Amino acid sequence: MMLTSLDPRVNRLQVPAEWPDLPVKNQLDQWATYEVFAQKRENTAYAYVGPVHAPDLEVAFLFAKEQYSRRVACFGLWVVKTQAIQHTPYVNDNELVWGMINIPAAIRPAEPQQPFEIFILKKRGKAHTHAGMVMASDYPAALAVAKEQFGDQAPCVNVWVMPAAQVFKSAEEDKDLWLTLSEKKYREPVAYKVLDKINAFKTRTISNP
Amino acid sequence: MYGGGSLFEAVKLDELQHEDPMKLAEFEARIQRGEKIEPDDWMPELYRKQVIRMIEQHAHSEIIGALPEGTWITRAPGFRRKMALLAKVQDEVGHAQLLYSAAETLGKTREQMMLDLISGKSKYSNVFNYPTPTWADSTVISWLIDAGAIVNQMANARGSYGPYCRALERICAEESFHLKYGHDAVVYLATGSHKQRQMIQEALNRWWPPIMTFFGPADKISAHTEILMRWKVKMATNDECRQQFLDMYVPKVWEIGLTLPDPNLRKNEEGVWEYTEPDWEEFKQVINGNGPCNKERLAVRRQAEEKGAWVRRALLKPETTYVKPLA
Repeated sequence: MMLTSLDPRVNRLQVPAEWPDLPVKNQLDQWATYEVFAQKRENTAYAYVGPVHAPDLEVAFLFAKEQYSRRVACFGLWVVKTQAIQHTPYVNDNELVWGMINIPAAIRPAEPQQPFEIFILKKRGKAHTHAGMVMASDYPAALAVAKEQFGDQAPCVNVWVMPAAQVFKSAEEDKDLWLTLSEKKYREPVAYKVLDKINAFKTRTISNP
Repeated sequence: MYGGGSLFEAVKLDELQHEDPMKLAEFEARIQRGEKIEPDDWMPELYRKQVIRMIEQHAHSEIIGALPEGTWITRAPGFRRKMALLAKVQDEVGHAQLLYSAAETLGKTREQMMLDLISGKSKYSNVFNYPTPTWADSTVISWLIDAGAIVNQMANARGSYGPYCRALERICAEESFHLKYGHDAVVYLATGSHKQRQMIQEALNRWWPPIMTFFGPADKISAHTEILMRWKVKMATNDECRQQFLDMYVPKVWEIGLTLPDPNLRKNEEGVWEYTEPDWEEFKQVINGNGPCNKERLAVRRQAEEKGAWVRRALLKPETTYVKPLA
């Protein structure tokens, strides 16, 4: 017997009215996790917007575009695998996480160097924001260099470090990719002039009760 | 959209006795100072459990709530309304994505949440177990259920869990379009022909009883409620939310010449709304799976899960692994 509904789409699905329990999975078939950063205005720092799950980096970028740029202004996206990010512990608001970072110069070999992107969180509950790029040999070294370069930037409760080579970045020449918002005014509250209709209705009922 | 602060599990407070008292004091002091909790912080197991449960229910409500409205996209009167409703339903599904991510930071996988929804273990807002027989019903959801959801979400956005606050900030911004769109659609019918007025009045009559249960039964003042409020998980009592909703929206219903099917509904001299107590027995029945649409809602989700399984497996790469999101 099929489930019958008021909803014609549900009837078309031909869903059985009774079903056995879902088989228990030994392992979840869930995709890998990626973190997404967006540029909300031109020439401003990228900021964390949230994660997506995807089978690979390119699909992650497509999902991220759908999830994080379809409703708000966006001028670029960066996507990186969650496991490529290392981070400090969180400290209390108004404390500086830099105080916990004490990496001797000795474990900072001179080469080979690669670029790391540094994101810092100013206040708990807010979003990590891009501070800049540093050159270093590994994660701890990148954090130490970040402390030297950005350590005077207060406040800072948490730092994320990731190799720049692993960050998938939208290209400068693809900018028109993002210019989709202006055509969809019906998604904005200002497109609905409810008050005009209500006032017209009131005038009508008063003059013609 | 989302409703019902009523579904918190009754918890045994003796669970707290196993927690490190020093760490617990530190945790509570942080919340007291108005600081947010981030995923890596130490937190009592009870907090973790209750926050997962709350965010997960909210996420489920978003995707299940898309069903009674989504069915009207193809039948919405006019191209503009089709586009707007399509965008709204798309927003709701996007909200679910944001919320599942926030819950995942606490250690429960997205897929497990989906499986718990399908098996009936996790709940979602009870109002979505009612049908939308006409276009007017869908406009009542867009306006008044979203209005209720906004009351709830504005309160929750002041809560203590960082990732949930970040998600709600974006969700609340998008909800303001839903509310205006819904209000506009209701006003259009209410100020239209006799037949249109009748249609919206009947839809309102159908939806008012579920709407009155949207925020859940009055909270029992228990140690349990007290601790969730101290931890800023629950930000307002169910009755406070209901009062705020009535105060904001009953006048807006009345001003367009519509009535509400409750002869006892009125604001008394103290400024408190009085009403006929909703049927909490029916509420309980529906939550436990016996509402008009429970079966259909879960069957549709189940089919989506089953039909999508091969795609997920086909694209799954052995060298990539799922981890919980960072924030």
